[in-house]
Amino acid sequence: MNRFLQDRLLKAAAVFMVLQGALLTLAPAVRARSLDADLRWTQWFAALMWGIPVFLVQRGITKRLPDADPYLFPAAAFLSGWGLLTIWRLDPHYGARQGLWFTISLIVLLFGLRLPTNLGFLRRYKYSLLTGGFLLVALTLLFGTNPIGFGPELWLGCCGVYFQPSETLKLLLIVFLSAYLSDRLAIRVRAFSLVLLTTIISGLGILLLLFQRDLGTASIFIALFTCMIYLATGKKRTLLFSAALIALFAVSGYFFIDIVHARVAAWLNPWADPGGGSYQIIQALLAVANGGLEGRGPGLGNPNLVPVAVSDFIYAAIAEETGLFGTLGLLALFGLILARGLRAALRAPDLFRRFCAAGISAYFGIQTILIIGGNLRLLPLTGVTLPFVSYGGSSLLTSFIALLFLLHISNHLDEEPAPLPQPQPYLILGALLALGLFAAALANGWWTVIRGPDLLTRTDNPRRVIADRFVPRGDIVDRSNSVITTTVGKIGELERSYVYPDLAPVTGYNHPKYGQAGLEASLDGYLRGLQGTPASTILWNQLLYGMSPPGLDVRLTLDLYLQFRADEMMFGHSGAVVMLNAQSGEILVMSSHPTFNPNHLEEIGSELRDDPEHPLINRAAQGLYPTGTVIAPFAQAVLGKETLTDAERETVYEAVGLQRTPQLQLEVAEPLSNSELNHFHVSPLQVALASAALSAHGVIPAPNIAAAVNTPAEGWVILPTLGTPTDAIPSELADEAVRALILEGNNFWSHIGQATEADSSVTWFIGGTPPNWGGTPIVIVVLIEENNPRLAQRIGEELIVDAMNP
Amino acid sequence: MIATVVLVLRLALAIALYIFLGWALLTLWQELKQQGKSLSERKKTGISIAQKSEQGNAREFHFYQADIVIGRHTHCDIAVLDEVVSAQHARLTYHHGQWWLEDLSSTNGTFLNGSKVNTPTVVITDDEFKCGNTRFVIRVDADENAAIT
Repeated sequence: MNRFLQDRLLKAAAVFMVLQGALLTLAPAVRARSLDADLRWTQWFAALMWGIPVFLVQRGITKRLPDADPYLFPAAAFLSGWGLLTIWRLDPHYGARQGLWFTISLIVLLFGLRLPTNLGFLRRYKYSLLTGGFLLVALTLLFGTNPIGFGPELWLGCCGVYFQPSETLKLLLIVFLSAYLSDRLAIRVRAFSLVLLTTIISGLGILLLLFQRDLGTASIFIALFTCMIYLATGKKRTLLFSAALIALFAVSGYFFIDIVHARVAAWLNPWADPGGGSYQIIQALLAVANGGLEGRGPGLGNPNLVPVAVSDFIYAAIAEETGLFGTLGLLALFGLILARGLRAALRAPDLFRRFCAAGISAYFGIQTILIIGGNLRLLPLTGVTLPFVSYGGSSLLTSFIALLFLLHISNHLDEEPAPLPQPQPYLILGALLALGLFAAALANGWWTVIRGPDLLTRTDNPRRVIADRFVPRGDIVDRSNSVITTTVGKIGELERSYVYPDLAPVTGYNHPKYGQAGLEASLDGYLRGLQGTPASTILWNQLLYGMSPPGLDVRLTLDLYLQFRADEMMFGHSGAVVMLNAQSGEILVMSSHPTFNPNHLEEIGSELRDDPEHPLINRAAQGLYPTGTVIAPFAQAVLGKETLTDAERETVYEAVGLQRTPQLQLEVAEPLSNSELNHFHVSPLQVALASAALSAHGVIPAPNIAAAVNTPAEGWVILPTLGTPTDAIPSELADEAVRALILEGNNFWSHIGQATEADSSVTWFIGGTPPNWGGTPIVIVVLIEENNPRLAQRIGEELIVDAMNP
Repeated sequence: MIATVVLVLRLALAIALYIFLGWALLTLWQELKQQGKSLSERKKTGISIAQKSEQGNAREFHFYQADIVIGRHTHCDIAVLDEVVSAQHARLTYHHGQWWLEDLSSTNGTFLNGSKVNTPTVVITDDEFKCGNTRFVIRVDADENAAIT
C-alpha cells in the first residue's frame, strides 16, 4: 500500500514536471504571440536530472525502507523539481548547478538508505559530529569566501564548487541535541542540568554564526534549540524565554548592527525607501501581486525583476508565475512534510529518534516560515533558503540528508512507539508550524487579492513598461486622422514614435525611464486598451498574456495644418498659441514653445528637467501669465468701461470664467490668485475660452481636445467634453463689444494686450470671428513672453486668416 | 492560438499539483478512517473486578472496554460510595497487551497489594488494590480469544 501510494504520488509529480517543462518551452512563443519564436528547450535537461535520480531513489526506498512514510519523499521531490525548473527558468546557469547538486543529493540519499535504520551511529558520535560541524564553520573564519564575490563569507571551497558549512551545522545541532537529551532524560536528571551544557554548546554556535554575520542561520539556531529543549522538558517557559531572547536580539541588533537595522526598517516601513533598502521586498510584493490568483504562467511572468530571485526570493518568483493557486499548493506540500515529520516523531520507537524527527520537522518548518514570511513582509527578511526549493547546493544536500533521517525514523517495523508522558509539546509545535504556514497563506492572499490592484499601479512597477514593448499602444491622430504619435517596431521591441514632435508639451510622451506626460498620461486608459475595450477582452488578455489588450487610437480635435503654421511662426520665441472653435470648444491649435523632441528623450531627458526654459511645461494650459490690458474687451462687455477698480476687475474675471479651472483631458494650471487682485494670473487657454464668449454670443464653450476613440466594437466613439458651456455675458453686450474691435479692412475682431511684471513683460493677442460670421466660429490667443506687439499681431492675424479661409 | 494551448497546459499544471495534494489528503483520510476502525475493533481482553466494601458486601463488574475509571463520581465506570475515595480516583487501562493500574492523583492514594501506586503498573489476576476503604480484586479474562469463542 505504502509503496503503491508513493509511486502514484511521484507519477503526479512527474506529470507536473513535464507540464512545466512544456510550458517553459512554449512560453517564448506566447510572449512573441507567434510560433515563430526561439522556443526554450534546455530545461528538459533539468527534467531529466530530476526524473532519473527520483526514479532510482524510489526503487531504493521500496527495497530498503519499505515501511518508510510514503508522503515524505514524493513531497520533497515535488518541491525540489518545482524549484529546479523555476531556477532554470530564471537563470539556466544556476539551474544547471542546482540540477547537479540535486543529483548529488539524491545519490547521497540512495546510499544513505543502506544505513542501519535506528540511526545509532549518529547517537554514538554526537560529540564528534558536532565538533566537526563547528570546525568547518570555524574554518570559514579563516578561508571563507562568497561565490558571488561580495557579502558575508560563509562558504568553503574553490574553483566553482562551494559549500556552506552552517547549513549542515543546523542538522548536526539537531542530531546532537536529540542524542544528548535522550541520553540524559533516561537517567531523569533535573531540567536545569539538561539545559546548561546544551545552552553552552548552542550559545557557542550562535556566537560563531553571529561573528560570521550569518544572522539567518543564527536565528534558526535559537529557534531550533528552543524547540528541542521545549520538547524534552515540556516547560512552556522555555518558549517564552526564547521568544524574549529573540526579541532582545532583534531590538539590540536594530540599534547596533547595520544589516539588522536595514532589514527591520525595510520590514516596518518598506514604502519609505522603495528604491533603496526596501527595493527587494517591494519588487517581491509586486511580483506576488502580479501573479494574482491564477499566475502569469511558467515563463510568462517577470520574476527576474526581483533581485536574487533564485534563492531568497524564489517564493515570489513562483507566486508570480503560478499565482495564489500555485503557492497555496506549495504551502500545502510543506504542510504535508511537516505533518508527516511530526507523525514520524510521535511514532518513533525511542526518544532519540523522536527528538530527531521533531527537530527536523521544526527545522523545515521554521526555515520555510522565515523565508516565506520574509518574502511576504510578514517577518523581516532573513537570507535563509526555502528548503528543497531555493538555489543552494549545501541547503539542498542538507535538506535531503534530513529527509533521509526522517525516512529512516518513519520506517519502524511493528515497533511500539516509545512512551509519551506529555503529548502537549508536540501538539503545540505542530500548531505553531501550521499557524505559520496559515499566516503565510493569508499574507499571500492579502497582497494578491486585496492590495494587488493598487500595488500594480505603482510607478516602480516595471511591468507596465515591459508590457509597452509587447502590446501596441494606440495612435494619437489629428482631426483628419493624420498621425501625431504612433508605435513602431516588432513585438518585444515596440517603441513610441512621435511623428509630429513639436506637439510634445501637449501630447506628451510615454517613456520607459521618464514615464508619461501630457495626453499620453491623461488618455493612458484608452491608449493602453483598458478603457473602451470590452471587459471580457481585457480579462482574456490578462489571462493569456498577463498584459492589457492592444491599445485604441485616439483622435484629437487638433488641426495639424494650423498647428504646423502656429509652430512655424512661434519657432524661436517663448510663448503659446491656442485656437478654439468658439462654439464647440474644440481646440484646433495648442502650441507651446520652446518645445522638445520626445524621440530623443533617452538622451535629453535629464537635461530637459533642469532646462531654465522649461520646455516640458505646456505653456498653453499650464502657463500662468499676468493679464494686463488684455482684459479690456471683457471689461467693456461686462461693465461697459475699460478702466477698472480692483473690485470691478474681480467681477469681470468672475463673469468670463477666468477664476475657474478649465475641465480638460490635460493637465491644466489652477488659477493663481495672490492677495493683490491685479496679480491675477491666467493661462492662455482660459483667455481663449473667455474670448470664445465674445465670438459666440456670450457663451463660454466647454473645451475639448480628445474628440473620439476607435473602439473595436463600435468604431469611432465620440468622447464627451468634461465641462459644460456656461452663459457668461448677455448676448447683445458681447456682440456690441466685439464690433468695436473689428479693425478697418479686417473681417475679424482683434485686440492686443500687454502686461509687465517685475522685469519681464508679456504680449497678448486675442482675436476671433465676428458674431455674424457664417462659417466656423473661431477664436485665437497668442501669448509671447516678450514685449513684441507686432510679432503677436502677425502670428495671430495670419493664423486667423488661415483658419477662416480653409 | 498558442496562448490558448498554453492556458490549457497551465490549467493542467494546476490540476497535477492538486491531484498530488488530493491523493495525499484522500489517502491520509482513508488511513485515519482505517485506524479509527481498527482501534475500535481491536480485540480486547475483558476484565472482572470484584468490589469489596468495608462491610464485606461484594459487587462484581465485568468490562470489555479498554479504559475503566473508578471514583466517587456517578459518571465513573465503577462509582463507589466511600467518602475517602476521590471523585476520580484510579484508572485501569488496557494497552501493550496488558492491563495497567494508574492513580489519578487521588487524595488518599491507590494501593496495589499494599504498596502505593505512583506510576502506571501492570496488574494480573488475583491482584488486589485499594481505593480509600474499598478493596478490589482483579480477574483478567484467561485468553484473548476466550471471550470471543
